[in-house]
Parts: sequence; structure tokens; C-alpha cells
Amino acid sequence: MEVNFKSEVTLSESGFLFDHSSGLTYTLNPTGQFIFRALQNGKGGQKILSQIMDEFDVDDNTARKDLDDFIQQLKEFGLIEQ
Amino acid sequence: MNINVAVTGLHATDNPAPGIGVVRCLKYPDGWNGQIIGLGYDVYDTGIYDEDLLDHTYLIPYPNQGADRALNRILYVHNQQRIDVLIPTLDSEVATYLKIKPELDKAGIATYLPTEQAIKRSVKSALYDFCQSNEIMTPDTVVIREPGQLEEVFERIGFPFFIKGQFYDAHKCTNREEATKHYKDLQRNWGLPMIAQKEITGQEFDICCVGGENGDVIGAVPIRKIGLTEKGKAWAAVTLRNRELLEFTREIFQKIGWCGPCELEIMQEDKTGNLILLEINPRFPAWVFLTAGAEQNLPRLVVDLAMGNSYEPLPPAKSGVTFVRHATDLICPLEYIESLTISGELHY
Repeated sequence: MEVNFKSEVTLSESGFLFDHSSGLTYTLNPTGQFIFRALQNGKGGQKILSQIMDEFDVDDNTARKDLDDFIQQLKEFGLIEQ
Repeated sequence: MNINVAVTGLHATDNPAPGIGVVRCLKYPDGWNGQIIGLGYDVYDTGIYDEDLLDHTYLIPYPNQGADRALNRILYVHNQQRIDVLIPTLDSEVATYLKIKPELDKAGIATYLPTEQAIKRSVKSALYDFCQSNEIMTPDTVVIREPGQLEEVFERIGFPFFIKGQFYDAHKCTNREEATKHYKDLQRNWGLPMIAQKEITGQEFDICCVGGENGDVIGAVPIRKIGLTEKGKAWAAVTLRNRELLEFTREIFQKIGWCGPCELEIMQEDKTGNLILLEINPRFPAWVFLTAGAEQNLPRLVVDLAMGNSYEPLPPAKSGVTFVRHATDLICPLEYIESLTISGELHY
């Protein structure tokens, strides 16, 4: 899954996300951090889904919903291209 | 060589002037190799009592008392302490210091100010026309030069809009009653002209910048304000790394031919994403100390530029650096108040 980040962002180990362009900050839970890093690394959607299932011990539907919801939130916050 | 720097605008209450921030930059990180001379307007200008920052304080006449009186007083201070560089920090002072600049130069007092032409283009009452003819986006604006013109604002701009004094104050107006009240208050405090500017819905960014003599941007620190006082003044902000803002700044500087320090106020409109110039303030902002934190110490740069010294190109401003404004109390012995009241000067 390829997403385009709209500006430079830094995600710290603690889950604190800083958008250098807007100055806005966000707090990501462990699932959000996991998905965010996977997206930054350019991993594909299927790969991310299987990693979420492995990492958090959830089924395919739950993983898919988490991923879709998270990407939708990133779009709403203007962090990735619509 | 020790460089003595005189700085104005030291009153720092709920709407702080930039002078204290400028001095703190000069002394950052490990002091200043010269004397810092504070120039205040009133015995109760708060910052003039900060003996950790200043070596001397002198009272000077208000700008509305005329350029000649200002010059005489500055030359008196120069005769006492030798001023190498003078940094005015208030909007209302710029015209005065531009006027007396030749005499200051002659006396050996260096300044680094915008040109008269750049000021004429950027004053609030002229900025809209300049932007229109130079393809810089700016909100729809009416310059109010006569009392009857509020009607024109209602018809042409509509609500909500901001009504702004020539130098200071801005109020949001959402109906006729508010507009009439703010108009009267501004007229009483600052006179005409004033401007009415259409409200833009979006994110506000400010940039503290210094321009070189060719209109190039030598230093620029963009911020987003995080916390605002009731007057809309930042008490917390974070520095940014934003290429679009810097390109917009370069475009403005080139077109206007800006030299010297300034603060740009820019909105990014939610609806379009366009960058829209609200104001150019011809001096450092009150939050200028953040530029030192962002590794672009712009007041130190201005001293070098004023002195004609060579300077190292600045690194890009570091993003993610935050300031919070923290009020503190200074204790002033009666002798300090006495000295400034009686002689208009105080030496620490």
C-alpha cells in the first residue's frame, strides 16, 4: 500500500508524532505506531494486514478495519494525500 | 571589539514589546561582549529594570514628540555610552529612525532598517494595493480614511472582518454594533487611517525574518502559534520546517525589496490551501528569542549586518522547538525609580 505523506513528520519511540510543516502534534497508540511505521517503510497493504494479525493477535476483519480507520484518520488530519 | 547595542521596546506586560526578546538573543548563549543599553519611554516600562539583561537604561521621548527630540536624546546617550548599533523594535518608531538615519550614521550609530520605499509598500494602508499589483494574495481590504467609510466596508467586505489600527490593535467584527464600537476605539487611540480586512478561515503562521540589501531572505524562522492571549498574542508557539512558507517569504521579499528585520503574518486558507499575506510588521516579533532556540539568532545577525561585518550563512531553522511565555516579577529599589524619574537614566 503506497501512501504519500504530505509533509515531513517525525514519529518518536513514545508514539509522539510531529508534523514539521504545520506544527501539529498527535499521539499514536501502539497499533497506530505500528501501521504508521509500516506505511513509512512503503510496505504493501496485504503485508501490513498480515503483520497486524501476527503482532496483535487479531483476525483479518479486525486488522482490515484498524488499517482502514487509521488511514482515514491520517487523511482527515491532512497527513497523507487524499 | 566590544559592541554596544541600544534596544528600544522594553515594556513587556500582557502585550509584550520585542526589546527584551532581542536583548536575550544578543546575550544567548553565553553573554554579550559589550554593553546593552535599554531605551525606554516611561519610568514604568517593565523591562528597563531587568539588571541581568541591561547595563544602562535611558528614557527617550515618545515617537510622536518628533524626530529631532529623539535624535537629540539618542546623541546624548551616545555621548555617554557610545552606541555602536541601535535596534528599534516598535512599529511606530520605524519612520522616526529612518528620518534620523543619516545623522545616526554620521555619529557612528549603525542601524539595519528597511528602506523608506519598502515601508511605504508594506504599511497596512498600502499593503493591499501593493499585493494586488504584484500578485501576492492578501485578504480583501478597505482602507478607512474618513468616518463614513464603514458603510463601504459593510457593503464590499461583509462580516466577519477585522478592523485594525495603523500600527496596533486588531478586532474581529461580526456585526455593525461591534464594528462601530471598535472603529471608535481605534480612532480615539490611534487615529486614521485604519483598515478593514476580510476574515480568512485557516491556519495562521508567523515568520520572523531578516532581509538582505537585495531583498534576499538571510534568515527566516516560521512558527505556528499554539497558545493565544485574549488579545491574540502568542504565549506558546512551535517552530516549523515548511518549504511553501519559505518560498512565499522569498517571493514577498523580492517583490517588496525588504531589507532588515520583520514579522510576516500569513494565513493558509482551509478552503483552498492558498497562502495569504495578512501583514508585514517592520520589526522583530515579541517571540524573537525563539529564533535563538531554532539556531538562527536573528538579532545577532542584524548586529553583524548593521556593522557591515561578514557573517556565516545560517543553518535552516530547527523545527519542533517550542517557546512558552512565562511572566515573572522584578524587584525595583526605590532608588531605581527615583533615578529614572529625576534624571531619566539608570546605571546598573
